[in-house]
This record gives sequence, C-alpha cells and structure tokens, in this order.
Amino acid sequence: MSEMTALERGYRRVLALYPRSFRAHSEDEILAVLLATAEEGQTRVGLAEAWDLVRGAMRMRLWPAAPRPRVVRAAVKLMLAGAAAELAAVVTVVVTSGAVRAAVAARYPADVHSVMVHQVAVLAAAPVAIGMWLWLAWANGRGEDWARMISAACFGLLTLSVLSSLSEHAATDAPASMIAAGIVWAIGLASLALVFTPAAGRYYRPQLAQQ
Amino acid sequence: MQEATFLILTALADGPQHGYGIITEVAQISVGRVKLRAGTLYTALDRLRSDGLVSVDGEEVVEGRLRRYYRLTPEGTKVLAAEAARLQANAAAALIRLRPGLAGGVA
Repeated sequence: MSEMTALERGYRRVLALYPRSFRAHSEDEILAVLLATAEEGQTRVGLAEAWDLVRGAMRMRLWPAAPRPRVVRAAVKLMLAGAAAELAAVVTVVVTSGAVRAAVAARYPADVHSVMVHQVAVLAAAPVAIGMWLWLAWANGRGEDWARMISAACFGLLTLSVLSSLSEHAATDAPASMIAAGIVWAIGLASLALVFTPAAGRYYRPQLAQQ
Repeated sequence: MQEATFLILTALADGPQHGYGIITEVAQISVGRVKLRAGTLYTALDRLRSDGLVSVDGEEVVEGRLRRYYRLTPEGTKVLAAEAARLQANAAAALIRLRPGLAGGVA
C-alpha cells in the first residue's frame, strides 16, 4: 500500500506541470490510467513515462487546445521553418564570408571594411532573428491578434533589409547569402499571407466572427 | 493525421471507451506495436475534444477512481472515414506497384 502511495505521489508531482484547468478536469482520470498501466510492484515514475507526461504538459501550455484552422497551423509550421532558414542563412554568411570579402576587395577595395561590419552585424542579429521567428510561431499558434501585427512589422523590416542588401550589390558579390535571404523572405511572405486569410481572421478575432 | 490520433479515433469507432480501454484497444489494433502512454493519450484527447472530433460520453467511479468515457462525434466519424480511405488508397497503390510483372514493373 505504501508502495502505491509513493508511486501515486510521484505521478502527481509530474501532473502538477499541467495547466490548472486541465488538471481540474482530468488529473484523477489520468492518474487512474497511469496506475492501471504501471508495472507490478513499480514504486517510481519511469523515465519514459515521465518524459511523455512532461512533453504533453509542454504542448498544452505552449499551445492550448483550440480549434486551430488549417491555415494557422500551416503558418506556425512555416514560421518554425523560418527560424531554421534563418539559421541556414547565417551559416551561409559565415561559410562564404571569406569568398565574399575577396570578391568585394577585387572590385570595390574601399568597401571591404563595410562588408566586414555587415557580416558581423548579421551574425550578432541572428539569435534575435531566430528568437523572433520562434516567439511569433508560438504567439500566432495561440491566436494572439497582436502577433499577426508584429509579424507584419517584422516582415516589413525583413523586406527593407533584403532591399538594402540588393542595393549594395550583394546579389553579385554574395549570391549564396542573397539566395538564403530570399528564401527566408519568401517564408515570411507565405506565413504572413496565411495569418491574414479570412479563415485565420475568425480564429484571431472570434468576437468579430460571431457578430 | 498522426498515427496515435488515427488509432485513438479507430479505437472509438465501434463504441465509447474510457482512457485505459483506449490504450488496450490501440495495442490490439496495432498488434502490440503502438503502446500509447497516458501523456500522449490525454494530450491527444484534449485536442480532439476541442476540435469537436471526440466528446465525453459519460463518467463512472470504479474502485474509487474516476473513469470517463469518450466517443466519436459525427464529425469525428467523418474525419476518420476520410483518413482511412486515404490510407487505404495509398496502401493499395503500393501493393499494386510491388506486384511483379504488373504495372510495367519488370520490363
């Protein structure tokens, strides 16, 4: 009997990670299932089942269950892809930095310094950019209306930075970086188009949809 | 649709089940290959309920423990049928192409 209570206490400790509303509805029910599936004589929460519960709790907290339209789910996936593409873009800048500097030195020797400054700036901004993609994926997935607006603003900034790179002959001097930036930009455009579709609008602004 | 979700809906297709019942049904349906864990099951059920594919059918207390029964909604039945048809079409296509001598497989 005391074995059972130790195990039950262990399960309850992990279940405490779940959102309060979910626990109020389902904690006793899950506990019964956990105890029913426990091994004979088991006294501690197993690593695999603990991880399974933690993962479930994380999912529920990050993205509470709500009927999420397909367009929003697609937009969230695209934004996660955006974070990955951003990372790839930075790796491209690093890998090609020497070649780019050489190309610039050959044609515009005076600009080498500014190219280096630009490369360092891209590197420094990368964690922020990747963080923004992840944060906006999270917030858009939750249906926060402000997240759409911030996404739009970020896309504006992204567009400006791509245009300014183009005006600095990046297309000829740093073609690989330019292609990577173009991919990131296209992902931004696609995800933005999705969150501003009417179907997504009803998810972001349910109060308007009901009228 | 993820496999776990598909199997949960399948477990509910022929009548309401409680959580533990779903786990044993899923193990049976998948011939022991898929061992659904409680965290996965209840995260999926939470989502399926909010998507309107599954609803609570009733509750009972057995040996002092709460048991809640779940069933497919008409929408859930429709979604499961569509997914099953899709998987069947894919499987049929694979089997046809694997059959030697047919569909121009061996020239």
